[in-house]
Amino acid sequence: MGKDECKTMLDALNKVTACYRHLVIALGSTSDSQNLREELKKTRKKAQELAVANRTKLTSLLKDKSISKEDRAEYERLWVLFSSSMELLEVDMKRSLEIGQDFPTKVPTRHFIQTGMTGSTTTVAARAMSVQNMKYEADSNIDTVDLRDLQTEITQVSQMMEEMEMKVQVAPWAVEAKQEAGAELKSNMSVGNSSVGVISICEEEPKEEEGGGSRDSGIASVCAVFVFFVIIAVAGVLGYLVVNMS
Amino acid sequence: MTIRTARPDRVQHFRPRMHCLKKLEAMMVEMQSGVKGSEQKLNVTTIPHVITGKDIIAWITNKMKSTTEESQAFGTMLVAYGYIYPLENHKKLVMCNDTSLYRFQTPYFWPTQKWVAEDSDYAIYLAKRNIRKKGMLEPYEQAHYNHLHEWLNHKWDFIVMQATEQYKAGKERKKPDRVVFDCQERAYWIVNKPPRHTHSAMDCGPERLIDPNSDEKITFDTYRRMNLFYQQAIMRSKVKSSVSLGALVKYITTYKNHDPFLAPCLPSNPWHTDNDTYWTMNMRQVEVPTKMRVERWSFSLFELLSDLRGRDDFKIFLKKEFSGENMAFWEAAEELKWGTASSMTSKAETIFKTFLAPGAPRWINIDGRTMGLTVKGLDHPHRYVLEAAQTHVFLLMKKDTFFRYLKSPVYKEIQKKALNPEPHNFSPAQLEQNAQNRSPGIHPIILWQQDESEKAKAAIASAPVDVKAMMSKIDRK
Repeated sequence: MGKDECKTMLDALNKVTACYRHLVIALGSTSDSQNLREELKKTRKKAQELAVANRTKLTSLLKDKSISKEDRAEYERLWVLFSSSMELLEVDMKRSLEIGQDFPTKVPTRHFIQTGMTGSTTTVAARAMSVQNMKYEADSNIDTVDLRDLQTEITQVSQMMEEMEMKVQVAPWAVEAKQEAGAELKSNMSVGNSSVGVISICEEEPKEEEGGGSRDSGIASVCAVFVFFVIIAVAGVLGYLVVNMS
Repeated sequence: MTIRTARPDRVQHFRPRMHCLKKLEAMMVEMQSGVKGSEQKLNVTTIPHVITGKDIIAWITNKMKSTTEESQAFGTMLVAYGYIYPLENHKKLVMCNDTSLYRFQTPYFWPTQKWVAEDSDYAIYLAKRNIRKKGMLEPYEQAHYNHLHEWLNHKWDFIVMQATEQYKAGKERKKPDRVVFDCQERAYWIVNKPPRHTHSAMDCGPERLIDPNSDEKITFDTYRRMNLFYQQAIMRSKVKSSVSLGALVKYITTYKNHDPFLAPCLPSNPWHTDNDTYWTMNMRQVEVPTKMRVERWSFSLFELLSDLRGRDDFKIFLKKEFSGENMAFWEAAEELKWGTASSMTSKAETIFKTFLAPGAPRWINIDGRTMGLTVKGLDHPHRYVLEAAQTHVFLLMKKDTFFRYLKSPVYKEIQKKALNPEPHNFSPAQLEQNAQNRSPGIHPIILWQQDESEKAKAAIASAPVDVKAMMSKIDRK
């Protein structure tokens, strides 16, 4: 169904945006390097592909006049998610341009800021690209070349967002969120709100639909505890027999 | 026009007064090679690039060729702006000249003129912190969280999703990097959203339409206007600085105990402690004024008349002396000045009949020239027609009646009766409670009604005594 496709694509875009932000925060610090610039470039490209795909899908869904009201409300909610992701991405791209220009990698007298971060960001980039290991194949002047590309990409993204606003009439303030305050304390969040709440450690009461989910997982955890105790009992019996024998 | 173009694009509308940021950034980059870093040990992880306050201040002193105190002040500003953050007492943004530990902030979190700390970013940060701390946010953070949940509600799904994703992406990094990242983010948000009762160095004024960093092109017209301005400035009459400074010194010595910035206002400053005893004790209609207020009345006649409670007291004194007409005229002139345009002609007529006409019941004694000017002006009355007469009357009162008032038993009695409240001493818990129990105060309509009833009573009391009616009453008896 169109909705599920949308949700998975939005999930992916969300993941890439989060990873991109982590990478941009590492720019200019001691964990900066040529690899980081390449990771930024690749993540950005992936984000753009996802953005274009999402946009075409959502615009086609929203332009369809024959959908029901709940469906339309749901698509508007997804639209707000998409546009917020894009705003975040645009800001991060502009900032990475500025910081990238201020901290070129190849100038030997220019020092990176000693922030205390020394590890590499390979794992974050791998998460963004959904691969196991990152391959690095760029040449040494990636920072200058990349910055020019980045400028064009930023203009493209800004244009896309303006087009989006003009074409699709969605009032973002009218959308009602499905998550209540403190919802992030339950793990396994995804776009669809059918999360299996594990253990809610927050003070708020979980909603009814999450109550059902937590009942299932409650049974699972009770079984796990039971198995654990059985194993302990078996170990105790064996130990007693060993002591008896010696 | 779309929502995005209607919303203020922060690149077009510039925030003022941040020219220093570019220079500070250059200095921060230079500092990297100058200051030596060491390592910080936390349980099992070691995190490099830790610097002591002493080293930073020594480097600044060396580089800028200044004294240690100045370098310390400069260092404190670097910490307050967020270029360096303290590791030990993370809420107190000062640079101490000892072995306290600091670390540099990553360029993404540096203060910039263009990028303002967005509320949605703060909401994402609070959600992440909620996950990390398992629901135990600090009270001010919890208050912000609830507030943001309410008004960013349409984006809340996005915020929760992004927060969980960022949290998971953060877990992909190594342990020391994770710790550093947490410290960095926390430091950034302490600078941009300071906790309660702390001051933020990032307070800046309203947004401007021109970029303060760009150079302005000076055209021919600008030079012409500059010339005009300087020519006019030369022709203005100036006061000798010895005279003006002397006046300033006199003003300061008189008023310095009454300024709530310089001296603590008793019982406590309501803006600090959220307790409004100070305001209730200094209201318009209060029976017994405070000592500070009574002392203020003795500074000048202007102070006495500006404070309405003081004016009442002065009027009591004048009633005893039977010389109330100057005061009444002054008040009537004030009413004409501040009153409505429609009532001006009628007010001017009553004033003329009561005070200025020859043989009037409350005739005031002003010199002939002023009287002539005023009467002529009253043919075409405007707001300031009584200005000359009012000033004359004011000077009469100042030179004569005011000093008699200060020596009179009325004033001495009120000085003795005046209250001197005890200063409050609230503990932090009581302060929190005060903040939550703030009362809205008396409704202005009630105050206005009280004022009107007072005015009506005063009007009846001061109506000129009808001599003929009195005489006929006595005759009948």
